[in-house]
Amino acid sequence: MNAGQFLTIFISAVFIYNVILSRFLGLCSFVAISKETKPALAMSLAVMFVTTMSSIITWFIYRFLLAPFNLSYLRTISFILVIAAFVQFVEMVIRKVSPAMYRFFGIYLPLITVNCAVLGVAVLNIDMFFVDNRAVPGSFWYSAFQGVCVGLGYTLAMLLMSGIRERLELCHVPKAVKDFPLAFIIASMMSLAFMGFNGFRL
Amino acid sequence: MKNNLLVSAAPHLHNKESVSKIMWLVVLSLLPVGAAGVFIFGVSAFRVIILATASSIVTEGICQIISRRKVTVLDGSAALTGILLAFNLPAQAPWWLPAAGAIFSIAIGKQIFGGLGQNIFNPALAGRAFLMASWPKYMTAFTAPLNYDAVTSATPLALLKEGHALQNISYLDLFLGRRGGCIGEVCVAALLAGAAFLLLKGYISWHIPLTYISTVGVFSYCFGGRGLFSGDWLFAILSGGLILGAFFMATDYVTSPLTSRGQVVFGIGCGLLTAVIRLWGGYPEGASYAILMMNAATPIIDRYTKNRVYGYTLKAYE
Amino acid sequence: MNKLFHEFFKGIIKENPTFVLVLGLCPTLAVSVSVVNGIGMGIAATFVLLGSNVIVSLIKNTVPARIRIPCFIVVIATFVTIAEMTLKAYSPALNRALGIYVPLIVVNCIVLGRAEAFAQKAKALNSFFDGLGMGVGFTLALILISAIREFLGAGKLLNHAIFKGFEPAFVFSMPSGALLVIGLLLGFFNLFKRIKQ
Repeated sequence: MNAGQFLTIFISAVFIYNVILSRFLGLCSFVAISKETKPALAMSLAVMFVTTMSSIITWFIYRFLLAPFNLSYLRTISFILVIAAFVQFVEMVIRKVSPAMYRFFGIYLPLITVNCAVLGVAVLNIDMFFVDNRAVPGSFWYSAFQGVCVGLGYTLAMLLMSGIRERLELCHVPKAVKDFPLAFIIASMMSLAFMGFNGFRL
Repeated sequence: MKNNLLVSAAPHLHNKESVSKIMWLVVLSLLPVGAAGVFIFGVSAFRVIILATASSIVTEGICQIISRRKVTVLDGSAALTGILLAFNLPAQAPWWLPAAGAIFSIAIGKQIFGGLGQNIFNPALAGRAFLMASWPKYMTAFTAPLNYDAVTSATPLALLKEGHALQNISYLDLFLGRRGGCIGEVCVAALLAGAAFLLLKGYISWHIPLTYISTVGVFSYCFGGRGLFSGDWLFAILSGGLILGAFFMATDYVTSPLTSRGQVVFGIGCGLLTAVIRLWGGYPEGASYAILMMNAATPIIDRYTKNRVYGYTLKAYE
Repeated sequence: MNKLFHEFFKGIIKENPTFVLVLGLCPTLAVSVSVVNGIGMGIAATFVLLGSNVIVSLIKNTVPARIRIPCFIVVIATFVTIAEMTLKAYSPALNRALGIYVPLIVVNCIVLGRAEAFAQKAKALNSFFDGLGMGVGFTLALILISAIREFLGAGKLLNHAIFKGFEPAFVFSMPSGALLVIGLLLGFFNLFKRIKQ
């Protein structure tokens, strides 16, 4: 475990293999909710929280249940169930603890269950930080950190995109490409710009 | 006639400036740069410039005809995009490279957003990034300066990236453009002449270029050398596409922030990204990517740096 | 019989999951680098759709409404696991190429969307044809996108070179090219719709 590894995870998860612009995870929510900045930010924060927590939870499940008993083929089923249950739980807690926050996040939380980014980062952690069903040294911290960084990458893309789309509201965009098509084309250009970080090394 | 019957909002200033005039003046300010490029790299550079400009204008016309808008191919904006794109290409580019880049720049980079003044990304840089991702082999085959036999040579930044020592290149060479590189980025002297003209006429402000270039200089000085505070800042400023980008690309009215505060943030962001990509990224030069990334951030910067409307507190205005 | 045909054909054009409903784009964009990958992903997703649609419409009366989503997800995840294991056993190369996008069929909005919007209200036979139609529509969309990307990005179709002297634009094999292709295709479909009206 060293600091360089963490920096590599950060740069690669946020810029090079950005969840949305490069791995295409969470694309549906990205085009649907990025029309205005405020909801986009709320959604991003919720996603960041859930990716982090689910990275941690699924790591424990894989390390102490699936790997030792050779049940890794149950990975998909168990992860999606745990994520769904966790999201449901968070929703209930937020509703009890802070109604204001519930109104802020409420409608976005259930959507997160089917957000590919959450399951995606869980599966990715297992693929990257487990070799032959054995955790590599520091794998827990790498997984948790990758969860945070994927959330950050999602937030960055959402924030930029929502700003751009708010500005486009004032533009005379050709009707055929309004909304979805243009959102994809902008995402394509952002992806081109982020290619500047390709081959990053210290 | 119709316009005379409308009451427009104050201030009612009359001025001879028009978008078209400014565009053509920027083109004029780029003439010395183009001339220097042709002098350094030979006739092939001239061919690239003409091809890119012509393809831009034709694409603009076709797009406007298809989308049934007013055809405004002679307002200078398409020509400017074409010239800036050509300045970002190597002189020995095959003929279809500038054409493909210009088609992407105008059709996807500009017209699909609704045309002049509506695009989010600098069209010329979007075209360059597209070409760079598509045909890297042709985009990085640079000719040696003042040697018209198409001898290839690497740019000083690329040499540095590969760990070669730079022996036979002086600051004066860099300043006058005796080095490998893209057509429009090598001759710093001509670029500065054009930039001075634009600054004096007030068509661009100093905020973005100054903050951009000084950030790159300071960052390279701090982290670019073997130890801290031993980097070659003058080399960092004179090499690559920094001067071209800082004065002519980053200052594009449409894709940069409106307020001077926003422009300072934009310039510093561009500088940091450029320096970081140069030092640790996979590409030798990061100016074009840095500006594109900051273009994407421009609406957000505008949002948080907008001026207070007289009589409102910032909070109430939100 | 007529109705079944309707359920089948609507998924191909009128309610094409990719171009009309704009669902399940993550795998569409990620694996469409080559036609072979596209077909592989299409078949895997069709299999999951068929299985989950039929099972969901069979159990629709036993599952309480409040916990139906978790139940549907378990059903879907089961079929995804079967598909995953089959791929791993019989076509490891394709499995490697599709990578994490095979397990991610679970969260493909098309599958859950059809279970929620169609299968839980319909008879098993109708659901079967709905799933088949949606699956075929999804596969055709994948083939279209991956053919464009493979041709422009690598100059090939199904791994055969097409033209001599054509310089492929690598960008179309990259994520950015995928987003560009889908954006332009959606734009063209919108244009056709507007012209037709």
